[in-house]
Amino acid sequence: MMTPSSLPVVLMAVAAVVASSPTAFGFVSPVPASVGVVPDGIRPSLRPRSSSPSKASSTTTITTTTTTTMLNSHKLVLIRHGESTWNDLNIFTGWADASLNERGISEASQGGRLLREGGYVFDVAYTSVLKRAIKTLWIVLEELDLMYIPIVNTWRLNERHYGGLQGLNKQETVDKHGKEQVLVWRRSYDVPPPECDKSSEYYPGNDPRYANVDASDLPLAESLKTTGERFMPVWEDEIGPAIRDGKRVIIAAHGNTLRALVKHLDDISEDEITGLNIPTGVPLVYELDDDLRVIPNPNAIAPLRGMYLGDLEDVRARIAGVANQTK
Amino acid sequence: MFAAARSALFAASRNGARVSPNARSLPAALFQTADKHTLVLVRHGESTWNLENKFTGWVDVPLSPKGHEEVIEAGRLIRDSGLLPDVAFTSLQKRAIRTLWHVLEETDRMWIPVTKAWQLNERHYGALQGLDKQETVDKYGKDQVLIWRRSYDVPPPVVDRSSEHHPGNDPRYAGFDFPDEWTESLKTTLERVAPYFEENIAPVLKSGKTVIIAAHGNSLRALVKGLDGIGEDVIAELNIPTGTPLVYELDDDMRPIPQEGSFGPLNGRYLGDQDAIRARIEGVKNQTK
Repeated sequence: MMTPSSLPVVLMAVAAVVASSPTAFGFVSPVPASVGVVPDGIRPSLRPRSSSPSKASSTTTITTTTTTTMLNSHKLVLIRHGESTWNDLNIFTGWADASLNERGISEASQGGRLLREGGYVFDVAYTSVLKRAIKTLWIVLEELDLMYIPIVNTWRLNERHYGGLQGLNKQETVDKHGKEQVLVWRRSYDVPPPECDKSSEYYPGNDPRYANVDASDLPLAESLKTTGERFMPVWEDEIGPAIRDGKRVIIAAHGNTLRALVKHLDDISEDEITGLNIPTGVPLVYELDDDLRVIPNPNAIAPLRGMYLGDLEDVRARIAGVANQTK
Repeated sequence: MFAAARSALFAASRNGARVSPNARSLPAALFQTADKHTLVLVRHGESTWNLENKFTGWVDVPLSPKGHEEVIEAGRLIRDSGLLPDVAFTSLQKRAIRTLWHVLEETDRMWIPVTKAWQLNERHYGALQGLDKQETVDKYGKDQVLIWRRSYDVPPPVVDRSSEHHPGNDPRYAGFDFPDEWTESLKTTLERVAPYFEENIAPVLKSGKTVIIAAHGNSLRALVKGLDGIGEDVIAELNIPTGTPLVYELDDDMRPIPQEGSFGPLNGRYLGDQDAIRARIEGVKNQTK
């Protein structure tokens, strides 16, 4: 019969800090506090995995020169959330927390299915604090049977903040400001829309989910440029190191944050990135070396060097199609 | 009197004391301004193996359609109560995670940080996992099975590393070292729930955040046993209805503040139709679980 006192002591352990104030439990654990604590310094990639190997860690059939980099390549999957209820209403969304509509939900399911069929496995997921991306991630993880992995929600992965245009109908805005001006706000690299008012419901300082964010970091409006500038710290400080550490990462995010990321990964110019459309719900797979440099995929659609999953002809059509849409 | 009460209330909230959002009258609200911390517990809804009458434990079965409905309703009850979770904890098992996700969706708090921990898992059922409950009774006898299910400290037979049910064979536990033989009783479940609560959850509550925990019958039993000081005999028989939010108000020492409307021996208060809940608590006692 097993008793706690017969549990062997875990050698590699971080000493757990036990609350010192008396509590209702008044409990002193006979089980070593280190049981169950994730040991620091243990890299999951070094631990032999007893589960079935996933394609995510196998070698890919690419014709690059260096075979040594393939041994230490890391797969990173990006997925842009699908259609939201505000897309239907043709309203500028930005940081407004619109939900996925039925089509967006089914796009996410389809994305999850493609990943499942591809044998993808993840250790950690990153997403924004906006529900359309979070829900997309949840649907994908459910499809992959990976609901148990940690999810990190960060405002730095939010869609670009659309300032004073948030909540406004796109056509009305064109009628009011003229087509040219609106095109500049939507498609320039560094011209932000007009700022939102600090008394507005759209000012992040009035939203409890940003309560822990420094007020000086909260935008009143953003361009693609400033979106990238506030995204890069989480790439550099958290996501990049996780990938280098051997963690298999999926990022579920928004059009402009994913643009910012691929601009960085694929060294895309400012002009080219503003016209680039990442189709919703289609998993985009990057293979990175230990320095987080992209190993180009032969099936990539330029200027990206990562590969979309699914029917590539269909994806090409969608990339071209989205270019003509209002977004 | 009204004006004096109101200005005292505003003074208290300016000083950072927590004012209950559920205050029905200003004078009552005054008495609720002492520092208190809100903890919401939700037991996951019906799973597919509840329907199939199998011992589940750490097997990762999903919610049944009814289970989904139950916990969507739980989310609505929490939403309507005005409680706003700030931080969430759950297990590594999808039936609890999915329960939490429904609640976060209904309360429009999908963005809050969620920590998933094996220490909040259901009790591991050892070698009984996957077995049909009736077949097990036929095989071992009703009395033995009752001991395994309802005793406080007698665990079911162990599984070793050759078993699919040993955590060493599940990638989600890859970061942890489990012994070669594994099984759990309610007692040993508590021995991993209680320290986890002390070290990880209590500090969050003390910092002023409202915490929600979506977990399982036995991990929640372990939790309330410690919170309410419930005896071993009583806890083994205590049933926490599925999908029914259980709200605790705790003081700075994590001791429950008694609430009107709680059903003994718990100091927590269930949200929802109180008569229906009482009937369910009584009814489950007689069920197979």
